[in-house]
Amino acid sequence: MQEGRILTATEVNRDLLRSILDTPRWFWPVVMALGLVVLAAAIVIGVMINRGLGITNLNRPVVWGFFITNFVFWIGISHAGVMLSAILRLAKAEWRRPATRAAEVLTIFSLMTAMTMPIIHTGRPWRIMYWAFPYDFARGIWPNIRTPLIWDPSAILTYLTSSSLFVLIALIPDFAVLRDRTTGISHQVYSMLSLGWQGNPRQWKLQIISGVLLSALILPVFVSVHSIVSWDFGMAMAVKSWHSTIFAPYFVVGAVHSGVSAVAFVLILLRKAYGWQAYIRHEHIDALGRLLVVVATGWFYFFSMEVIFGIYGREADEIAVRTLQFIQWPVSAWTMVFVITTYFIPVSIWLSRYCRRNLWIMSFACISVNIGMWLERFLIIVPGLANRQVFTFSWNMYSPSIPEIIIISATFALVAMFMLLFSRAIPLVPLYDIKEGDILKTEIQIGRRAVPAVYRED
Amino acid sequence: MAEHSNGRSPAGMWVFPQADQITAQVMERTTRRCKPHTIALVVAALLAALGVVGFLFRVAADGLDNYNAWGYYMAAFSFVFMVTSGAPLATAAFRFTKSHWRRPLSRVAELFAVVGVLNLLLFIPMVIVLPAIENPTFVPGMEGEMAARRAIWLGSSGVPFGAPALWDILGLVALAVTSMAILWLSLMPDLAQSRDRVSGFRRTIYGLLAGSWHGTKRQWIQHKAGMMLLGGFYFMMVVFVHFLIVSDFAMSLIPGWKDSILPPLYTLIAFQNALGLLLVILFILRKWGGYQEYIGISLFWSASKILLGLTLLWTYHLFAFFITFWYGRLEVEESILRYLMFESYAPVFWANVIFSFFVPFFILLWNPVRKTAWGPALAGLSALVGGFLFSIRIFVGSFNAVDFKEFPGELYSLGLTRARIQDAVIPDLWDIFMVVGIIGAAALVYLAAAKLFPVMSIWEVKEGAMYQRMGKLFRGEYMILAKPE
Repeated sequence: MQEGRILTATEVNRDLLRSILDTPRWFWPVVMALGLVVLAAAIVIGVMINRGLGITNLNRPVVWGFFITNFVFWIGISHAGVMLSAILRLAKAEWRRPATRAAEVLTIFSLMTAMTMPIIHTGRPWRIMYWAFPYDFARGIWPNIRTPLIWDPSAILTYLTSSSLFVLIALIPDFAVLRDRTTGISHQVYSMLSLGWQGNPRQWKLQIISGVLLSALILPVFVSVHSIVSWDFGMAMAVKSWHSTIFAPYFVVGAVHSGVSAVAFVLILLRKAYGWQAYIRHEHIDALGRLLVVVATGWFYFFSMEVIFGIYGREADEIAVRTLQFIQWPVSAWTMVFVITTYFIPVSIWLSRYCRRNLWIMSFACISVNIGMWLERFLIIVPGLANRQVFTFSWNMYSPSIPEIIIISATFALVAMFMLLFSRAIPLVPLYDIKEGDILKTEIQIGRRAVPAVYRED
Repeated sequence: MAEHSNGRSPAGMWVFPQADQITAQVMERTTRRCKPHTIALVVAALLAALGVVGFLFRVAADGLDNYNAWGYYMAAFSFVFMVTSGAPLATAAFRFTKSHWRRPLSRVAELFAVVGVLNLLLFIPMVIVLPAIENPTFVPGMEGEMAARRAIWLGSSGVPFGAPALWDILGLVALAVTSMAILWLSLMPDLAQSRDRVSGFRRTIYGLLAGSWHGTKRQWIQHKAGMMLLGGFYFMMVVFVHFLIVSDFAMSLIPGWKDSILPPLYTLIAFQNALGLLLVILFILRKWGGYQEYIGISLFWSASKILLGLTLLWTYHLFAFFITFWYGRLEVEESILRYLMFESYAPVFWANVIFSFFVPFFILLWNPVRKTAWGPALAGLSALVGGFLFSIRIFVGSFNAVDFKEFPGELYSLGLTRARIQDAVIPDLWDIFMVVGIIGAAALVYLAAAKLFPVMSIWEVKEGAMYQRMGKLFRGEYMILAKPE
């Protein structure tokens, strides 16, 4: 038997446009609460600009702390969009359909949020301009284009541009549906965005081809972004434990791990919030859970290689960092929490079919992964910098200040707020993808059983 | 109801032959005399004999105490090991992802388990020639040398018992046993239904291996669960053993080489090579083996996309290695880049990149070429050449990074310096004999196994035929594929 019944186009339009055409009672209070957190952070940032980075606990030798950790974390979350949308689309995985749009939108907002972090981290945001443009012709001081710190903005902006294009192309048929169901200004905006979509065969063909082409083109961008972020650390010789050849794939797999877990959690929230039980079904969350077992195990392999070959060299200062990470209190306790929450708890959960289909347990597992992955980035960045090095005149361990904690918390509120506001303008489950999936669904008789089946074009 | 014609459906999609014909057809092709197969067996046996000659002369000339002389043997072993250890994984992985197109590929891949036993025998000389981890010439307070060379085995209380030889061998044994168990389990239903169609020694062997298989529902459930569990275990084992081999027999032999990406790089090229070889074998079986109606273009099309992905992944990992060392600018890292990539082994490196990346990439980039049998097979062949060159670069390079006979202490030094970069080693006649002999021996074992057992997984192809129909959707006719799980 099929796990969900085949829905008519009318039902799909009615249910999935509910988030746009009707406003649930909880919507604005939640948005306002999130907005207040963001406002608080904006005030703190204002104070920080006025008084300088001294209000944070960033100081020698730990000059990269919560802001950079959070930057890497959000870049990681942004990898969910391409992983789910582009790769699963190319692999023709049927279960991807309800997950793609939310993943793509999460990509865009998490990228935008990530980009604010290094800007805030500078303390004097307008000076970011100096990073990209030469500012001292007389003395010939130019930005060093051979550093990943310069490649980073280019890679992230390319990813943001291509992800936005990817979402917009996929949205055109849905904009046309909205155009036909709205009036006034909304109608005019959706008419403009739908680019004259009529749903004729030529338009569908172009839409599908551009989707596939963009999927293939965006993959190298997706890999390059987190690779370059990893090289911010990997190419720094001065900090022990950072200079490792495995950093690029290790960061990419970690990003996919946290990103896909985040998408699974967002899907569970959307299902609950908008009553999309018929669209985001247990089978979809189950499939995400199975995918995550593979991704998590791949991540664990890269993590093990990173640690093993860190110790392999038997260099005194590298061993000192590893001792700090794995043996010295309290960092060793965080490391233990990180490994358990990132791998052992969630994978134990995902191995059970019952747990994969229990939305509460799945939510717990997905949150657990993201707590662990946030800690992972912290534990890569801070112990390396905090390590007591020879001839260093000062050292101290880092702990975040209240302003840093407020700003970091606000980034979560910001992404959630953007997602909610966006759900008012576009359907977070793609209408045309769901309808196509329902058209392709069928059943065939094998012996005495009616078995679910799909029409295949290859 | 579907048109189970021999070949293509009207809509241009592949369908398997009728389920009731499959056992008879496959067994007829397995048992019939085939002259090209016999010739291939004889050629492989002759090459294996040459290998034995080369091995004996190498032992007589250099003995087993100077590992420098055994670089090409290790490279050939590594190449065969990469391909044959990766091949059974293809079955497990594609079964796990429930890829419908995998069915004709499964048995071709699983039969490589038999070569796993040969790998064990070939590996024994290597654990004998491997130099000790502890520095025999070390005196406390010595400048420039360490008490032990860098290795994955050094714990706080020295080298663990039997490391690395015992643990490496145990790893290979576990791989061989698991892959044989996968092969046996997969063969069981096929042998049970074929034992009445064969005679002589085949009948005895089939009867023995099929055991009490009757195809009950319970047996099928256990069979599928067993295959999944063994496949998962094999996957973890193969990745682990690749890590052991490349760390102990390559990285650890170049002073100062600390490279966490090498094990995944090695594993990726092994998977690329394994899939490449499978595509070459499937092309041969389709073209000349009489299996055209079983091995459809859809298999080549789907597998070629995986091959393209593996090719890109390997290149990405290679680039990540290169760029980290390039920008690191440590003397030891610069020396390793010069030695393995840009000076001593530069021709091998560039040939490796051309055959492992450029050729497969530019072949597989084109969808019309991916939708042929020859395109993916050609890309697979190129990947194999590239993998062989990779093995030469990494293992011959590592086995000759220091002149062990003249300066044994150098192996235990802190790092390769620019002044100590060795020249590339050109193979002598015995090296060439050993290389062709090892490849010939692997081919001999595989060809013999392919004659004894069916190269098509009968039960899987039958299952595939059962799961598909042709059906109309709007104005077109398409394949309908059942998704029972």
